[in-house]
Amino acid sequence: MKLGGIAHLLEYDLRNFFRYKWWIAGMISMNLADLIVMAVVYTNMISPTVAGKYLSYFLFFSPGITITALFAAAFMIGREINREFRRSLSHYLLSLPFSRRELAFGRVLSGGVRGMVYMAPLLATTTFVTWFFTEKLPSPLEMLLVVFALFLVSIGTSGLSITIALSTKSFEKFVTARGVIYYVLFFCSSVFYPLDFIRQLGRDGTLPQPLVFIAEINPLSSGADITRSFLLGYPSFSPLMLLNVALFAAIFVLTATFAYLKIVQE
Amino acid sequence: MAIIRTFDLTKKFGEFTAVDHLNLSIEEGEIFGLLGPNGAGKTTTLLMLTTVIKPTEGTAYVGEYDITKEPDKARRLVGMAFQEPKLMWVMTPWDVLNWHAKVCGLSSSERKQRVKWALTELGLWEDRHKSVHTFSGGMRKRVEVAKILIQRPKIAIVDEPTTQIDIVGKHRIWNMIRALRDEGSTIILATNELYEADILSDRVAIMHRGKLLVCDSPKKLKDSIVGGDLIELVLEKEAAENTVEELKKIEKVVDVLAIKPNHLRIYLNHAEEVLPQITELFMKARLPIRSIRMSEPSLDDVFAHYTGLTIEEAEKQ
Repeated sequence: MKLGGIAHLLEYDLRNFFRYKWWIAGMISMNLADLIVMAVVYTNMISPTVAGKYLSYFLFFSPGITITALFAAAFMIGREINREFRRSLSHYLLSLPFSRRELAFGRVLSGGVRGMVYMAPLLATTTFVTWFFTEKLPSPLEMLLVVFALFLVSIGTSGLSITIALSTKSFEKFVTARGVIYYVLFFCSSVFYPLDFIRQLGRDGTLPQPLVFIAEINPLSSGADITRSFLLGYPSFSPLMLLNVALFAAIFVLTATFAYLKIVQE
Repeated sequence: MAIIRTFDLTKKFGEFTAVDHLNLSIEEGEIFGLLGPNGAGKTTTLLMLTTVIKPTEGTAYVGEYDITKEPDKARRLVGMAFQEPKLMWVMTPWDVLNWHAKVCGLSSSERKQRVKWALTELGLWEDRHKSVHTFSGGMRKRVEVAKILIQRPKIAIVDEPTTQIDIVGKHRIWNMIRALRDEGSTIILATNELYEADILSDRVAIMHRGKLLVCDSPKKLKDSIVGGDLIELVLEKEAAENTVEELKKIEKVVDVLAIKPNHLRIYLNHAEEVLPQITELFMKARLPIRSIRMSEPSLDDVFAHYTGLTIEEAEKQ
């Protein structure tokens, strides 16, 4: 694989990402509404016994928003690849002097980088807000670990999105699959509620065990909790969290690359 | 020297055979026309040569590279302007072409110069920063063709380059294709516009239902139709029967039809070589000629001759 070819693909996908100005404007509005309205309201609604370990629901939720934004931005590459696939625009990319592996891996990486680029200002805001309320900042090494973990989530999400995008030429089916994945991964995770609390509900029989299991293995849970570990100090960091996001990334980078190589080239 | 050779190149999509054991040889530096109605297998053949799709059977050599064994190397020799413009609708022509040139390895200065040249020549310079989704079909097609003109690959493949383009634009693109050939590229031109193939191509291959029917220079293909040339003569007075008989005896004259006593239709081969003999015959017979109209068969006639169908009928099938 040549880095030059991958750099060209990154340029192609990043330029295209910033051309969707209205989509970006919509996402920013949604993320700001989550932070300024939803997090503030919930902070005043939720019992301090649940959110206490995190100081407030607001501080608990802001890393969650960061990871949902990362997920949505990284997932967007699938929409474009599905469109390319439907309109045979993929033929153009296949005719260019890239090796197939460069092309496949380059697209997966592009999706991941897009997620990171969109998420970066949110992570900076979350770090600032946490510092403002707690006067604590993670060390550079801890911050590096957070960024690395989020990058793994991002590239895995890109791979997942590309795999789904290439498994159907129907835009409708792609959008439906995207909706199902969004709801399952967002709501069966520690994005909105602490994993401890989900486990407690599972033990009480309030929440079915399969949903608790999904929340535990969900890479969004691990990504959000790694961020919380180093920003808020709770839950404590476990290498298993990192292993979980690394596995997620490895599985879907491979599946997407395989799908690109086998499906796009008829 | 052949720059492309195909050996029983075949592509099947399920039960449907799009290209059926195609054997072709394309010489370096020629403009090679690939002709046939829609669905003949032209685009599928081109997509295999650019390694976009894989053959089901057989193979092809692009330069010295087998497309099934060394597709990455083969692809580096080829550039393709697609039938349907392959453009992200949010992009501008400047960005599309600049990125394409960058991927194809052009230096920064070379890139800017060629992109500007192509956009100016194709009448797109003023609109270079507009999104392509605001463009007409013809404008999008011009952006697609510009890719290949900027890239100047060793083998340039152009699929229906002038569909949706006005007549002035067509001539401009034809001249640019010729110039590309003169600069050293081998051109493969796929078209169902027979006139376009006739005036541009050094050699033409006609495809029908995935198979190669015939391949030669347009002149030889037209000459291969026995009695395909036509001369219509209007005489000042009636032609005598013995003069008509003598006319029929001239070599390469296939048939003579008297439409009126002074109006003859002569079916023959190589009309331009036989015409002096015919005029001499009438001069000797003291029969002044009022008018002469000469025509040769078109590639439409060649297609009809080999398939028994007009191109429109073949498309309907």
